Amino acid sequence: MMLAACSVWLLLVCLVLYSRLKVAASAPTCTNGQAGCHVLSLANLFDRVIQHSARMHGISNDLHSEFELYFLPSKNQIGRVSRNCHTSTILTPNGKENAQRMAREELTEVILKLLVAWGDPLWHFHQSLAHNHEVSNFSSNKSLEMSDMVHELRKGVQKVIEKMKMLGIMGNSLGGLGSSESLLAPVSAEWRLMKDYDLLYCFRRDSSKIQNYLKILKCRIVPEHGC
Amino acid sequence: MMKNDGGVRLFWLLLLFLLYTRGKSYSVPGKPTLTRCRSPEKETFTCWWEPGSDGGLPTTYKLFYRKEGSEKEYQCTDYHTGGKNSCFFNKNDTSIWVNYNITVVATNALGQALSDPLNIDVYYIVEPNPPENLKVTIQNDKGWPFLRASWDPPTKADTRSGWITLIYELRIKLEEEDEWEIHHVGQQKVFNIFGLQSEGTYVIQIRCKPDHGFWSEWSEDVQVVVPNYFPNKRSTWVLVMVFSGMVFLILSWLLHINSRNLKHCILPPVPGPKIKGFDQKLHKSGKSVDAFKSLDVPDFPHHTFSKSEDLLVEYIEVYVPEEQELMLEKSNNLHNGCLKSENSVSDCDSGRGSCDSHTLLLDKSGQQTDTQESQTDEQRHGEALQGENLAYTHQDMVSPDMSAGRVKTWPSVFSPLPQNRSTEDQTSSLEIAKQHCLSDSLLPSDFLTPYHSPPGHCTREHLGSNYWEFDFGNKRPHLTQPQTEVCHQIQAHSEININTGVKAEPAAQKFPTPRSNEYVEVQRINEEDSVVLRPVASNYDKLFEMQQGEDYSRVKGVDSDSVLLLLQKEAMEEEMNMCSCEQLTDTTDAHYTTFATSPEKPTACTHPTPQPLEERVVNGYVDTATMFTMPPY
Repeated sequence: MMLAACSVWLLLVCLVLYSRLKVAASAPTCTNGQAGCHVLSLANLFDRVIQHSARMHGISNDLHSEFELYFLPSKNQIGRVSRNCHTSTILTPNGKENAQRMAREELTEVILKLLVAWGDPLWHFHQSLAHNHEVSNFSSNKSLEMSDMVHELRKGVQKVIEKMKMLGIMGNSLGGLGSSESLLAPVSAEWRLMKDYDLLYCFRRDSSKIQNYLKILKCRIVPEHGC
Repeated sequence: MMKNDGGVRLFWLLLLFLLYTRGKSYSVPGKPTLTRCRSPEKETFTCWWEPGSDGGLPTTYKLFYRKEGSEKEYQCTDYHTGGKNSCFFNKNDTSIWVNYNITVVATNALGQALSDPLNIDVYYIVEPNPPENLKVTIQNDKGWPFLRASWDPPTKADTRSGWITLIYELRIKLEEEDEWEIHHVGQQKVFNIFGLQSEGTYVIQIRCKPDHGFWSEWSEDVQVVVPNYFPNKRSTWVLVMVFSGMVFLILSWLLHINSRNLKHCILPPVPGPKIKGFDQKLHKSGKSVDAFKSLDVPDFPHHTFSKSEDLLVEYIEVYVPEEQELMLEKSNNLHNGCLKSENSVSDCDSGRGSCDSHTLLLDKSGQQTDTQESQTDEQRHGEALQGENLAYTHQDMVSPDMSAGRVKTWPSVFSPLPQNRSTEDQTSSLEIAKQHCLSDSLLPSDFLTPYHSPPGHCTREHLGSNYWEFDFGNKRPHLTQPQTEVCHQIQAHSEININTGVKAEPAAQKFPTPRSNEYVEVQRINEEDSVVLRPVASNYDKLFEMQQGEDYSRVKGVDSDSVLLLLQKEAMEEEMNMCSCEQLTDTTDAHYTTFATSPEKPTACTHPTPQPLEERVVNGYVDTATMFTMPPY
């Protein structure tokens, strides 16, 4: 009798797990071209990407503050730093009107360019931190996380773009966004000359730009979901 | 020329004089300090500075700034919008994510002073205005009110386009309190507050902050009064009542569980008789001689001990009442003076309960107060005889009716040994110690059980010093042995008898067919050495007679053939008149019919001329006292 009860219980557990697995394995897909469902999923995608970028910016902010405390450059260098950002060649809107005047495709392109531009530099930044004995393991791990996030965010944004193209929200003028070569060209290897602190300063700013642009995009494309 | 020189000298003298008289000194202006720069909506910003000493001369302040990536120096165009010592940067001049290098220059007639430069990025100096239109309403949630606060973002901040993302914070307190309760709200613009005080006045404020920026100022107070939804006094009373009710329930439950223990504490049961110096264990082991030796009295005739049959016999009248109850009575005479009152005091060595004499003699008439005394003695002694099988049930108090003496429960056959008052008692107690309580014999044939059972098998409810002090009602003493069933039944009967006034239902016991007669006579002795009794019709009056020892035959002893030797009536009378104590030792007063499993010969009464009843059947009445096995010798 005990055996029977045990077996029944096990069977139930298996059934429950199986059903759950099924649910987990298959993400909710929109079938039959339901418009509302697609829009909702796009809004969710945007939210996820924005959260990701917020977290990335948070980490960069923390690292920058840490560097400012321990590796405070001389005051003379403060003003000089900003000019050396290797992404300064990328034209980014510096005001609300400028950002709103930009087409969604342009804005998306800017975001992607920024993300692509920071892939390699952050990896090398992490490498230099890891080999720097003055830097704590905590900071080194953060830099690694930052580097990974950039890559993840890039993939996320590309997914968003695909979704938007599928929905017809965005035209196909985004051309070769998939290939990183076209985006990398403007930013050559200037970043290798930058010091760690300058890199952090520049990335901190760029990550806040990415986050802000994504928010603007979302509120422009799917405004009814939390704007 | 002389005049010019004089004029110039006069001028300077005048100037110096003026300066001297005024007590002032003019100097270069002090260094101003840029205190802060703030942007309310991330589209414009304002910078303030603190001027240094003005040097006594009118000083002008100018703000210059450079933007990141260009060496061009700009000058502030708006010194008024932001108030005194401020510079307002409008939308055209404001660039986000651009590093500003700002400097303030103080200039007076004597010179100028530069402030320390300030580097800012507008993205990180956003301090919005407080949220607007804070509204608090009282909502109801199933009778319990709660507050719902709602607000709008500051008008200048553009959250709709996603340019700024604001998070909010709300704080609330009672009007008379000092401490605020802060709630972090997040990005939503509605918030519910629960857990309100009835009839309290609350004050609520709200503020906001961008992702990376500064908190705004707190908004204006909004006051709200919570209605009276639950009278506090009543609620306290309800709580008190509920709590006390729970406590009461718990206490009563505890009491109920421990009722038995409490009863023991408050009304300790009267201990049963116990023989001083009587070693139970020794007795159990079978060496009765040794066991009784301790009770031995020097001057006591010892010849009685030589024989194992020297048992004190007490006859007991067996009544079979109309209700089919067996009643056992004891002869009054046997216990004259040696018996205790019915309410005898418990002896000092109170031990276990008395012998399980299911041969309870029930006295309906209630006249047998005298005999009751003897009963108590017997019982007490008989109790001592019992092994540890005695179930000493703590009897509850007898109902008052019982104590009136109406009921008399005779124990098993006991020699009418008194308590340990007299030395003579000791010997007699010895005898009694040998006796065992066997009440089965009283039962009709159906219920006879062999008396091989060890002593104390009829450990029914013990009878303490008070016979009627047994369990009338529902309590069933622990039955140690199967044979006790029989005893139970008997007892049940006796219960009924005792409860003459009480309609105590006996346990569903099977009893033989009801007979009207009250006495039981020995019918025969069956194979198992059991005395088969059968009730004999008799008048109820004879009960009394029996009690007086007139109409019952006393068993003198058992001869070698395991025959009951019964005394004639006359002889019994004589014997009964004698003090049972003394004669018991002579075995003449051993008024019990011993049911010998082994050929044991109780000492016969040497007394009068008994006519031993050799027949197995007795014509007339046999006071078959409670039979009890002889201790094995």
